[in-house]
Amino acid sequence: MTENRKSTILTPHGLTRRSALKGLGVAAGLMAAPGFVRYGQAQTSEPIRIGFQCHRTGIGAAYGRWYERTTTAAAKLINEAGGINGRPLEIIIEDDGTDPKRGAEVVEKFANQHKVDLVYGTLFSHVVVGSAPAAGELKMPYYVVSEGYHVASGKMNRYCVQPGITDVKAQVRSVAPWIANNLGKKITLVYPDYAFGHDHRDFFEPAIQAQGGQVVAKVPIPPTETSFTRYLPQIPSDTDVIYHVMVGPAVLTFVKELGEFFGNSGPQLFGFIDSLEAVDINSPGLEFLDGSHFWEGMPRYAQPDEPEYVSFYRDTVGIDENGASVGDPTDVSTAAHMFGCWETLHIIKTAMEASGYAGPGDRTKLIEATEAMTDMEAGREHPQGKKRFNGKIHQVFGEQNISRVEDGRLNVVHRTSIEDGHYEPEADYTTMLF
Amino acid sequence: MRLKLPRIAGYAIACFALLAGTVAAFAHASERGHVLLLPTSYYLMGGAMAVVFSFVVLAFMPPGALLQAGAWRLRLCRYRPFGKFAASTFSFAAFAFLLHVGWAGSRDPLANLLPLTVWTVLWLCLTLAQGIFGFWWPWLNPWYGPWRIWTAVTGQTAREDNPFLILPNRVGRWPAFAILFAFAWFELVSLAPDDPGNLAGVVVAYWLFTFACIVLFGYGTWMARGEFFSVFFRLVSHLAVFAVRAGYLWLVLPGAKLRHAPVLPASGVAFVLLALAYISFDGLMRTFAWLQIIGVNPLEFPGRSAVILQNTLGLAGMVTLFAVLFLAAILAGEKLAGGKGTARAAGALVWSFVPIALAYHFSHYLVVMLVNGQYALAAASDPLARGWNLFGTADMPIRAGLTLGADAAWAIWNAQAAAIVGGHVLAIILAHATAYGLYGSARRAALSQIPMAVLMIFYTVFGLWLLSTPTAG
Repeated sequence: MTENRKSTILTPHGLTRRSALKGLGVAAGLMAAPGFVRYGQAQTSEPIRIGFQCHRTGIGAAYGRWYERTTTAAAKLINEAGGINGRPLEIIIEDDGTDPKRGAEVVEKFANQHKVDLVYGTLFSHVVVGSAPAAGELKMPYYVVSEGYHVASGKMNRYCVQPGITDVKAQVRSVAPWIANNLGKKITLVYPDYAFGHDHRDFFEPAIQAQGGQVVAKVPIPPTETSFTRYLPQIPSDTDVIYHVMVGPAVLTFVKELGEFFGNSGPQLFGFIDSLEAVDINSPGLEFLDGSHFWEGMPRYAQPDEPEYVSFYRDTVGIDENGASVGDPTDVSTAAHMFGCWETLHIIKTAMEASGYAGPGDRTKLIEATEAMTDMEAGREHPQGKKRFNGKIHQVFGEQNISRVEDGRLNVVHRTSIEDGHYEPEADYTTMLF
Repeated sequence: MRLKLPRIAGYAIACFALLAGTVAAFAHASERGHVLLLPTSYYLMGGAMAVVFSFVVLAFMPPGALLQAGAWRLRLCRYRPFGKFAASTFSFAAFAFLLHVGWAGSRDPLANLLPLTVWTVLWLCLTLAQGIFGFWWPWLNPWYGPWRIWTAVTGQTAREDNPFLILPNRVGRWPAFAILFAFAWFELVSLAPDDPGNLAGVVVAYWLFTFACIVLFGYGTWMARGEFFSVFFRLVSHLAVFAVRAGYLWLVLPGAKLRHAPVLPASGVAFVLLALAYISFDGLMRTFAWLQIIGVNPLEFPGRSAVILQNTLGLAGMVTLFAVLFLAAILAGEKLAGGKGTARAAGALVWSFVPIALAYHFSHYLVVMLVNGQYALAAASDPLARGWNLFGTADMPIRAGLTLGADAAWAIWNAQAAAIVGGHVLAIILAHATAYGLYGSARRAALSQIPMAVLMIFYTVFGLWLLSTPTAG
C-alpha cells in the first residue's frame, strides 16, 4: 500500500489529491519508503512535524488549494532527498477558515494537540496578524508566506518570520525604476480605497518620486464599487502610466470598462498580478490588457529562457506552460505567490540543519539560525531567484518580474534587482527576548 | 503551556489594529467576476416574465385540465420496500466509522470523509437525490436499526402508541424547526463547521440526542416532528418522480405527489420557510450588498469570527422576513378570494415553496458539489489517510477547473438560472392547483394567487440576483 501510494503521488496529470499529505497517517508511509531505509538507524526516526496553517475554506480557499499543492510537492522532494537531519518531514494541515481567531486556535492546536515543531504557510495578512501573538505566546516558530509588510514592520514578534516571499513594500519599490525609465514618469494611481490600496499608494509615490517621476492623480475606488466608468474621467489626459491594483470580482469589469473608455489609445498600464491571480489572462473582458505590464512574483507562463531549476519546480508542482494545473487547463495556479511555500520549506530545512535542530527544545536556535541567514542563491531550493534575508526584520528581499501581456501570455521583459526593492529596516527583532 | 481561548480571541481582535498599512490583500477575482460580465439582468427580467406568463396561462386554464395532467402516472414494476432494518444498521456502522474518521483521519477538511460526507454527500447530494427519486432516509438514517435493536434488547415495545412520553400535539414540528435553525447556524455562522474533530463532536451529540428522543417519544413521532433531516427529506421527496403505491413503483410528474400532501401546521409552515431562508441567507451573506449593510469591506472580509452576531441576526431576520411576506401574501389572497381559513391556506400553499427550496439547493451548491464531490470520492478510498486505495479513487486528480474560467461560469450560471426559473414555474403551477382545491372555483383560485404570484416573481428575481451579484471570496 505504501509503495502504491508513493508511486502514484505524481501522475501524468500532475499532482493528485492523494498528493495532499493527509496529516496524521502520513509519516509512517514516508518513513517506510525506500529513501528512508538508510535513516532507520539515525539518532531518531521521529518525523519533523510541520503544522500547515492552510486557508482550506473561507475567502482564501483558491490560494489555499495551490499553497497545499506546492507544499506537498516540496515536502515530498525534501523527504525523497533524505528529509531534514535524517528525519522525514510530516505536514499536518489544519484549516484556519481564513479567519484570524480560528488561526490563533489552530496555532494552539498545533502546539498542544499535534505537538508540531513549527507552524508554517499562512498567506492572508489578517490571519497572520491574528495568529502571530499566539505563536509568540506559545514560543512556536511561525514561518509565514504572506507577502504583507506586517512582518518587516516590526509589529509581530521574534517567532514570526517571512523568509520565502518578499513583502509588498519591496515589490512596489522595485518596479518603480523600470516604470519611470520605460513607461513614463507621469503616473495615475487607481486603487481600491482601503488598506491594501493605501499601501500601494503610500509605498509607490515616494519610490517613483525618487526616480524623477510624479503621481499626477490618485483615483481611489470604493471597495463595494462594481462599475467604474464614473471614476475614469478623473484620470488626467497627460497621464503616461495608469498604475492599477484593483482586486475582487469586479476586476474584469474594471478592465473592460477601461478598454471602453480609452478605445485604441490611452496611457500605458501597469498592474500587480494579484488582481488576476488564478484567473486566465485570456478571459473575456481582459482584451484591453494586451500590451500592458504586470508585476509577477514568479512568472505564470513558462519562459523560453527559463533555467533548469524553474522547469524542475514547475514540473514537480504540476503546472503546465500556461501556469495551469497539468491536465486541467482551466485551473490556473497562484504562480506569483505559491513558490513562497516551496522556498520557505527549503529555508526551514537549511535552518534546521544549520542549528542542529533536534526537537522543540531547539526552537530558539532555529529562529536564530534563520535570522543568521543572508544570501540565498537561485536554484532548485529557490526557483524564484536569488534572495537576501534580513534577520533584523525577519523579511527576505528578492528579484521581481515585470511581464508584458503579449498574444495571451505574460512574457517577462525585465527582472528587477534585489537592490531595487531594498529599504532601510524599521525594526530589529533580534533584540527582542524569546 | 495551554493558552486560554478567550485570550487568543483577545489577541486576534486586538491585532486587527495592526493591519492598517500592512496589508497584502488577495481578494480573489473569482468566478463571480466572469458572471458579472454576462448579461444577467436579461435573465432576471426573463425569469420574472416566465413566472408572470405561467401565472397568466394558469389563470385562464381550466383547473380540471391541470389536475388531470397532474394525475398522469406510469406503472414501472412490482415493488415492495424491504431491508430497512439491515440498511439502517449498515448505515449506523458506516456512521460509527465516519465518526472515527472525524477524530482519527486527516485534519484537512478536504481530505477527511466526515465533513465531506456531512456537508457534501448528505446535505447537498442526498437532498437532491431524494427530491428526484423519493424518500430513502428511513433506510439510510443511522437510528432505525439501532432503535430496533434497542427495542429487542430492552423489551420496550416498538409500537408508536406506547412511548415513555407523549410529545404533545401543540409542539408540532417545532423541535425540527429549532434543530434546523441550529444546523443552519452551525454551517453558516459558526467558526469552524468543517473541522473534522469539531464536527465529529457535534454529530455524535446529535445522534445521541435523537436516539434519546426516539426512545422517549417513539421512532415514528420523533422522525416526523423532531429529526430535522427526516422532516426536510420527507418534504422534498414529495417532488420525486417515483412513487410507491399498491405494491408497484410508478413514474409520476414532479410535484404530482403533492396532491396527497397533508396540510401543514404552523410549525410545518415555519420549517419550510426556514429551509428556504437558510439557503437564501447562505447566498446573501456573501454578497457585497449584505457586507455593506453590516459594515464590512467585502474586499477585506475579516473572517467568520468578526461577523458572528451580524450573521446570526441576519439568519433569524431572513426567516422572519420570509414568514411575514408569506403570511401577507396568504392573507391578501384570502381577502381577494373571500376565503375563511388562513391557517389551512398557509399549510396547503406552503408546499408550493418546496420546489423553490430544491431549486435553490441545486443552484447554490452546484459548484461545491462538483468540486467537493470529487474530494469525497477520493477520500472514500483512503478514509484514515493510511495510503489505502479501497475503491481505486484515491489517486484521482481533483479537477477544480471544471468550475473555473469564463466558459464554466457561463454553463453554471445557465444551469442555475434554469433551475431557479423552473422551480418557480413549478411552484406557480402547484400553488394554482392547491388554490383550486382550497377555493373551489377557477376565478377565486386565480384571485387568491395574485399576491402569491407577486411574491414568486420577487423571489425569482432575488434568487437570480443572489447568484449574479458580486460576492466576497
